[in-house]
Amino acid sequence: MIYFIIRRLIMTVFLLLLVSMITFAIFFLVPRLAGQTAYQLAAQYVGRNPIPSEIKAVEIKLGLNAPLYLQYGRYIKGIVAGIHYNNGTDVSYCPFPCFGYSFRNDQPVWPQLISDAPVTLSIALGAAVLWLIGGVSIGVLSALRRGSIFDRLSMGIALAGVSLPVFFTGLIALELFSYKWPIFPNVHYVGITTNPLLWARNLVLPWITLAFLYAALYARLTRAGMLETMGEDYIRTARAKGLPERTVVVKHGLRAALTPIVTIFGLDLGLLLGGAILTETTYSMPGLGQFTILAIQNQDLPEIMGVVMIASFFIVIANMVVDILYAVVDPRVRF
Amino acid sequence: MKRRSIFAATAAGAAAALLISACSSSGSSSGTSSTTPTTGATGFNAGITSVVNPSSTKGGTLTFEVRGTPDSFDPGNTYYAWVLDFDHLYTMPLFGYKSCPGSCGLTLVPDLATSMGTFSDNGLTYTVQIQPDVKFETGVVVTSQDVKYAIERTYDRSVLANGPTYYQALLTDPTYPGPYKDRSKNLMGLTAIDTPNATTLVFHLQSPFPDLPYVLAFPNTAPVLPSADTGTNYQLHPLSTGPYMFKSYTLNKQLVMVPNPNWNPATDPNAKQLASQIVVNLNVNQADLDNNLIAGNADIDAYGAGVGPAAQARILSTSSLKADSDNPINGFARFVYINTKVAPLNNLHCREAVEYAANKTTMQTAWGGPVAGGQIASTIMPPNIVGYKSFDYYNALSQPSGDVSAAKQQLAMCGQPNGFSTNMAYRDDNPQETAEATALQASLASVGIKLTLKGFPSGPYYTNFAGDPAYVHSHDIGLAGGGWGADWPNGYGFLDELLNGNAIAPTGNTNISEVNDPVINNLFTKSNTLTGAARTAIWSQIDEQAMKDAVILPAVYQKVLLYRNPAVTNVYVQAYYGMYNYAVMGVNS
Repeated sequence: MIYFIIRRLIMTVFLLLLVSMITFAIFFLVPRLAGQTAYQLAAQYVGRNPIPSEIKAVEIKLGLNAPLYLQYGRYIKGIVAGIHYNNGTDVSYCPFPCFGYSFRNDQPVWPQLISDAPVTLSIALGAAVLWLIGGVSIGVLSALRRGSIFDRLSMGIALAGVSLPVFFTGLIALELFSYKWPIFPNVHYVGITTNPLLWARNLVLPWITLAFLYAALYARLTRAGMLETMGEDYIRTARAKGLPERTVVVKHGLRAALTPIVTIFGLDLGLLLGGAILTETTYSMPGLGQFTILAIQNQDLPEIMGVVMIASFFIVIANMVVDILYAVVDPRVRF
Repeated sequence: MKRRSIFAATAAGAAAALLISACSSSGSSSGTSSTTPTTGATGFNAGITSVVNPSSTKGGTLTFEVRGTPDSFDPGNTYYAWVLDFDHLYTMPLFGYKSCPGSCGLTLVPDLATSMGTFSDNGLTYTVQIQPDVKFETGVVVTSQDVKYAIERTYDRSVLANGPTYYQALLTDPTYPGPYKDRSKNLMGLTAIDTPNATTLVFHLQSPFPDLPYVLAFPNTAPVLPSADTGTNYQLHPLSTGPYMFKSYTLNKQLVMVPNPNWNPATDPNAKQLASQIVVNLNVNQADLDNNLIAGNADIDAYGAGVGPAAQARILSTSSLKADSDNPINGFARFVYINTKVAPLNNLHCREAVEYAANKTTMQTAWGGPVAGGQIASTIMPPNIVGYKSFDYYNALSQPSGDVSAAKQQLAMCGQPNGFSTNMAYRDDNPQETAEATALQASLASVGIKLTLKGFPSGPYYTNFAGDPAYVHSHDIGLAGGGWGADWPNGYGFLDELLNGNAIAPTGNTNISEVNDPVINNLFTKSNTLTGAARTAIWSQIDEQAMKDAVILPAVYQKVLLYRNPAVTNVYVQAYYGMYNYAVMGVNS
């Protein structure tokens, strides 16, 4: 297991390096190949009515005049070892991990990512707990009561959950439970260390909105997996041996059906940790998703690079955790 | 390429009486008014001409919400309209606009300065005094050198890229690199400004420019203590000279301000210190923001561009909500540039064909209709600009759906009886501009003008695409969507960068029509030799000439639907900003 983890961590580093190369190429190399010059790129960050010398000064300050491979090398060096940065007024040291400085507001990217991450983590993890428990439970019950009113109703609601986009259900939730009936008034993010109760109260609607979408998917997946598993011979054997039904369902049936659930959970959570863009935008929560939107709108390349790297990191780590969990869920899996 | 210069003939003995007339020459029925401002009015549009909910009650938390982020809270590094308004809560520039509703709010008045200053006889020197007892939040007294330093630091665009850039064009010593690179003379290296004593500033101009006080009304003249300047980090906590100071600022998330104990209201009659705390929540979803306003969770939408479509419908259909809203003209004009260098639009009659054929009604609908979009425009200058005169050369008001027969006549005269093809640039991440482009495409098609729409992102639109003449020519972009708000509310502030031949630049070009009409250029030159009513009359002449040249297709004088939380006190529309005056508000807690 330890060797597995070490191997996967080494692969993670190479994978992230590859992601950084591809992302850098997309935002810096491809426009150059299309004819955009460094001067033209710098002109986007100089404000109104710039004269050529001002654009040139910005081009130099942002390091855009250097060859691309040097720019990339500097970027990677900043991430692994920190780098000195000339912000125009003085030279400051940007410690590891340095994801560069925003082209728009000259502020270091990493602290902004760190500041936004707790919001996204709060939304994603809270919703994940809800959708996992809710989705799997409903799926199990639906499978056990196949064809019943409960089964039909829950699968119908699951269909709605999968079909309705987050920004729709979120706005409906706000309209009903925040504005019309102020059960959750004035939804905005409050840090857990500032006020844990308010933190949780203000996250209930985002959690439910996000969980509604994912729980639907998990319910359907769990139901399908359980239906297949509960029909297996070993389930009949377990029942014949006189095991309690709960043990048969949970320990033997559900456990076997969990493998695809674990796989998809890792992917979903990893993606969400990189920024629940629609949920954060709907509820005006200042997380990595909102940061991403702002970075794209501002064409702020260091910020875009930073958020892509963070999102990739979470996805890769989540997949590693999922692979480890396979061994827990399925005793046949060995590393 | 050298920076465009402001030409002038000899100054006609410009005197110190440079106060701009308080009367807008507007004939518009809403947006601004030349009636005497009142207090205490209520109801729909009360905030345009009256102070709604007047009060001197102190206390409470005033909560602003904004749908985006500021370009910067550093007063030397901002150009966003809402930030220019909001800045007055923590800055005192040399000049400001009188805090009053109606056209009164277009009056330029001293703020940090003691008077409107004086020009020398030849107009090349301008002297102004500052109040001797204004203090920073730390208690340090403001001196003339702090104002000079504030202006100096804006010269380095590699550090402060966002703000206005008039000083390099107007003052001597245009190549000064800024105090971050030139550390000489104790950071007072700019020779264009002298500070003979602690309260006097002497500006040296390249050529006479009567509108200099308007330029000095930007917040970049708010004093900056050199020892407190942290460069790009100054935005995180600029030292206040206004009624409030920064308590905390989480970048792009939330700003909290508290009363500045060293602010003296006697020195700053255009601001008030009423609320105990000001909170600004940034990056709030528009729909969420609107609902927060209506529910009373937030007090004011600081962005000032009006509520979203869903809230508009709700507010206008609910009498109690409508009574708490205002629908002013915000001073911004939306139009389409018609390029004078791209064939066949280099022919006047082809341009006039576009003017006649455009369906103004569908363009107005694209911008949001008569309430949320704006008034159909027939001139380039909107009504709340000093010097505005109404005229309608292309039947925009009498035939807003377009005058097809007149358009076809013009097409015949320009040798294109069956129409022609051209490309139109627009910002494809701006839904209204996208809808406007589509509407224009349809209306021009009715006379045979085939528009191919080319969408571009907003960020590089003016630097790399529509505002890059070389790109425009090589891609046959005959039309380009755009809009404009005046840097200061007279014809010069609105029209110069749009229509002056000297304003054409190789990148970041604002004279996108590339108009270089000697008649217009000479009128601008002449304006710098005149003052008062004679000068004001020039602006409509320029507007008329530009419309005769058919270089711009006006769409709407933009209007916004603003909602005011009934708990907020001293609410009114400040005409220059086209949004509420944030510097005087309080809240009933």
